[in-house]
Amino acid sequence: MIKLKPFMDFTSKKLQLRIVFTLFLAIFLLALATGTGMAQENVEAAKTTEAAAEATAEPAEATAEPEPEPEPYEVVDYRNFFGIDGRLIVWIISQLHLMFAAFVLAVPLFVVIIEVVGMKSGDIRYDNLAREFTKLLSAAFATTASLGGLLAFALYGLYPAFMRYMTDVFHPFMFIYALCFFGEVFCLYGYYYSWDLLSKTPKGKWIHISIGVMLNVFGTALMMLANSWATFMMAPSGIDMVTGTVTSLSHAFANFLWMPVNIHRIIANVAFGGFVVGAYAAVKFMGSKTDEDRAHYDWMGYIGNFIGLGALIPLPFAGYYLGREVYSASPVMGNIMMGGAFSWTFIVQAILIGMLFIGGNYYLWNGMSRIKGAERYTPYIKYINIIIFFCFAVWLTPHNLPLSGEERALIGEQYHPFSKFFGVMAAKNAVVNLLILSTFFSFLLYRRANKGETKPFSSHGRGARITLIIAAGLTVMYLAWYALGLRGLELEENILRYVSPLVTCLVIQIIAIVIAILLAFKNKGKLAQGFLFAVTTITAIMYFWYYGFVVMEKANLVLRYLSVTQVSIVISCLIVNTIIDVFLFKNAKEVGGIQWGKIPHRSQYALLLLCVAIVTLMGLMGFIRSGLRMNWHIYGYMQDTSAGSFTPSIAYMGWTVSLIVILFLALVSLVFWLAGLADKKKKHA
Amino acid sequence: MGSKKNSYSMILAIVSILIVFVIIKFVAPYAFMYLLAKDHTMPTPSTLMLWYMILAILGTLVYVSTSDLKWARFLSFILPAGDDKIKALFQKMIVLAFPLLVGWFAYSGTVPGTASPVELRIQHPTLLQEFEKLENPFANADEETKRRCIEEGKHLYQQNCRPCHGSKADGNGPFANAFRLRPINFTDPGTIATVVENFAFWRIKEGGPGLPNVSTPWDSPMPAWKDVLTDTQIWKIIMGEYVTAGVVARQREEIEH
Repeated sequence: MIKLKPFMDFTSKKLQLRIVFTLFLAIFLLALATGTGMAQENVEAAKTTEAAAEATAEPAEATAEPEPEPEPYEVVDYRNFFGIDGRLIVWIISQLHLMFAAFVLAVPLFVVIIEVVGMKSGDIRYDNLAREFTKLLSAAFATTASLGGLLAFALYGLYPAFMRYMTDVFHPFMFIYALCFFGEVFCLYGYYYSWDLLSKTPKGKWIHISIGVMLNVFGTALMMLANSWATFMMAPSGIDMVTGTVTSLSHAFANFLWMPVNIHRIIANVAFGGFVVGAYAAVKFMGSKTDEDRAHYDWMGYIGNFIGLGALIPLPFAGYYLGREVYSASPVMGNIMMGGAFSWTFIVQAILIGMLFIGGNYYLWNGMSRIKGAERYTPYIKYINIIIFFCFAVWLTPHNLPLSGEERALIGEQYHPFSKFFGVMAAKNAVVNLLILSTFFSFLLYRRANKGETKPFSSHGRGARITLIIAAGLTVMYLAWYALGLRGLELEENILRYVSPLVTCLVIQIIAIVIAILLAFKNKGKLAQGFLFAVTTITAIMYFWYYGFVVMEKANLVLRYLSVTQVSIVISCLIVNTIIDVFLFKNAKEVGGIQWGKIPHRSQYALLLLCVAIVTLMGLMGFIRSGLRMNWHIYGYMQDTSAGSFTPSIAYMGWTVSLIVILFLALVSLVFWLAGLADKKKKHA
Repeated sequence: MGSKKNSYSMILAIVSILIVFVIIKFVAPYAFMYLLAKDHTMPTPSTLMLWYMILAILGTLVYVSTSDLKWARFLSFILPAGDDKIKALFQKMIVLAFPLLVGWFAYSGTVPGTASPVELRIQHPTLLQEFEKLENPFANADEETKRRCIEEGKHLYQQNCRPCHGSKADGNGPFANAFRLRPINFTDPGTIATVVENFAFWRIKEGGPGLPNVSTPWDSPMPAWKDVLTDTQIWKIIMGEYVTAGVVARQREEIEH
């Protein structure tokens, strides 16, 4: 067989130099473009201040005294950074800090899990993988801390008045933050440097894992502390909204949007961490020279994608929860977000999320080619592909389409049917749930690609039966609890009647789960899974798509219950089908092993795309979350009166987010390269 | 290798893309006409055509590259046809069609025309802060007062709003056709049902002239009613308008502070 030369040889020095130079050029040009935009604003602002200064200067000259008074100390509210607006500087630094922090917080979450899996299974590969991830982690940690320090200086330097107030409110928590930071530092270095020392005995290994758990505890605490400051700015509570006096510190801390943001960020961080390490593995894979390395990095990329996709599945639900709570905190802020000045950024978000789902699935499908036996399932790919792209199309169809005057005249009304039926929340919720179900289905196919004849359910013993009953029982209990909650809602009679179809759907799902479990006991696991998929699709996707419109029209207060019901039904299907799948293929015959390392390079580019997409997505969403406050530092209490308090245009936002993405990717590449230097040395030695 | 059957997957891919094109371009306008009982077709807007076709092409490329084998088969169509006459014919068609397509895109993109510009619109302008905290003075009134307000509001609506927004609040008033951007159809659940009452209050009171500077041009001929109607009358109109349209305003949710 002729060995083809790879499309790009990442080991070539020349290419590396070219990449570095291109990156430098791109950053330079972006910085220039964003700077020019800001400079124009500044020139105008400077002109007005000059004019004002001239106007005031003249009378001053006339009354000038021979001995000038010493200049009084002037308290300023805003400064700029060498002519660049403070908001832009804070935006870039805080976003970079958040991205590094997301990585640093997420990686320990899955590293500890991987280490536990490695210890339980006795497979050294897991332990090595966890260690490799930790190596990246400790390299990224210092950058995170430096950026955090820089952010604090930028905030205190450029927004002194605002930070004075924030310090007044939150200073006790700032000390706790510093303490937690110490905790995290010690745990991280303890965790990384004691790896060999504590790996010798099982007891030592458990101590090591405990340090890892503590690392996560401190990290999560840090994130939650900082989150409360950011969410306080969006939905302040615990203060007098006129005078600003703190009435309850605990309410200011645990403000209304705090928990939704905490949940959303933790899940998003895991997805982010997973895709970033996936991209690292992809680069390493394409640069590998030996089969052993290729196999290792292929597997690492697979784990990265698995973690990323795994976290991506519940992410839309957490995002929806956060969005809904933003609406609850302020319907106006909610409308600005989804239907107002920020609505087009959500179309960009839709494209990026669509890319993540497609990229993740594409990687899985390509990965199936390295599994013998997968050909039995490949025919399904085309149907999943059609469904995913259909969902993508609906997902990004805006309610307010860009139309020309002629088109408007031809259509004869405000909305084209495509945007009327695809553009609103009822449709978006339906398709995102379908997207999640399809991705999950893809993953089930991947999992069973290698598996042949299954064992009868009874052969797994009583334990399996009990586990299945408990897991399904808990799911059913949750659904029943939610249905009872809906029954007990205190709403007006004319609204309440729109709730009963939701209860009916929950009951149908409960019955479907029971039937699925019974089928699984009768050794008809595949039928059980198919049945549950079908029921879920009919109720949660098809029916709720239609019913969403009914509710929107007549009782939009019910929409929030509808969405939660929809999500609950989909999640219950995912949980029960996963457990059935675990037992269905337990001890099943393997058709042929997985040939790690034999995966097309295309799939590795998909991993790189996933990384770029999620970094861009995080940059974009960071802008939206913060920008929603519009011209407020603290929404409804403290207004931002600086020159840069305008809401940026989409183009300006696009430039800045792109600059942040390029900066982050360049920094992270540098940090990972530095982390790898020691290994190279070892190899040469 | 020579005896192996030629793969037509590239042709299948092209046909799939063409089918999607036909559905969006020709089938959907008629389908919507029949489904929505309109007296004219509903042509798919050019922006959506472009987006959906990009997705269709992307989806096809994703599918044909899901494995090395599929990818090789897809690309193999450009290899010499040998004695396969049909393949040779298709190849010639592709060689001719592709530059023609690119040429057509270049031509249609640059040819001078008189089309009005496409506007990037947003759904809800940003509500001014002073309107956010307003509350309908009749929100907590007794049932009898509310009923009376609604009746009065319906009356005021028919007097002032009907010419454009229509007697059924469906955006089909006698003047509706005179506007480039038709008046909003309030019965559509995607319109006034998605906003709180304050938002409607602001829009009626300040109208098109009171729209904020961001996201301009707004292209709204809605008059500002603040000089004609009192605040109380506006609140009553809102109550009557929602009932006439058969929709409910977005409800504020109770949150703990």
